[in-house]
Amino acid sequence: MPEDYSSFLPLSPPAMHILLALASEDRHGYGIMQEVARESEGNYRIGPGTLYDNLQRLMGQGIVEAASTRARDDDPRRRYYRLTRFGRGLLTAEVERLDSVIRRARIHLRGNPRRAT
Amino acid sequence: MTRIVYRGLLWLHPSAFRRQFADEMLWIFDETHGTEAVTLLLSDVLISLARQWLLRSGAWKVAVAAAGGLIQLVLGGFGHMLVWRMHAVSRAGLDAGVDRLDLTRLIYIATGVLGGVMCSVIALTLWLRNFIGRRI
Repeated sequence: MPEDYSSFLPLSPPAMHILLALASEDRHGYGIMQEVARESEGNYRIGPGTLYDNLQRLMGQGIVEAASTRARDDDPRRRYYRLTRFGRGLLTAEVERLDSVIRRARIHLRGNPRRAT
Repeated sequence: MTRIVYRGLLWLHPSAFRRQFADEMLWIFDETHGTEAVTLLLSDVLISLARQWLLRSGAWKVAVAAAGGLIQLVLGGFGHMLVWRMHAVSRAGLDAGVDRLDLTRLIYIATGVLGGVMCSVIALTLWLRNFIGRRI
């Protein structure tokens, strides 16, 4: 039976960026912050307060989970996070939703602009 | 010095959040260098502190409910005393003992306030659940 993501959509900007940062690999909190800044070319940054507030909710909803990934020389305070299967499906659903919004927007913008009278 | 301040602000967060994330947040602070970045982290932790207590912990619901109960107590108490005084004046004039509240009346008021607080908490919880829904 397909999952129903409708009650979770649309994602808030911080949640969307966090899920995108985790889509490619498991990351610790600081890694997520850096990846968000890198992917947005420095235009969007999240602080630790916003990050962990969102991570707490995403973990509570079964979208993100703690991962056991750890390098040998890692600081023990670091914890890694990863997308769950549900989280990956949710991100895919959000990307498809955004894609359809953009397609519709392009169609409207390409049409002949009418001057208001 | 700023590390001590940051650590203190983390310590002021609700315990569930602090246990889960304070060490990592402190680690990020240790990895951050530069006055501007540290200032941003300090403002971020202050916002986080307000957010965790006001929006996430549910403590505000109890505070609002208690305030609602107090308002009911004050209004109910004044109304009750006013009605009682008018009734007493019409019946026997200004006798001694008109301002005395007996135990039964106090129990009525206390029960009303307790019921009001419970109704407020339930109503606020239901409202919040509908308002926020499951949106992330």
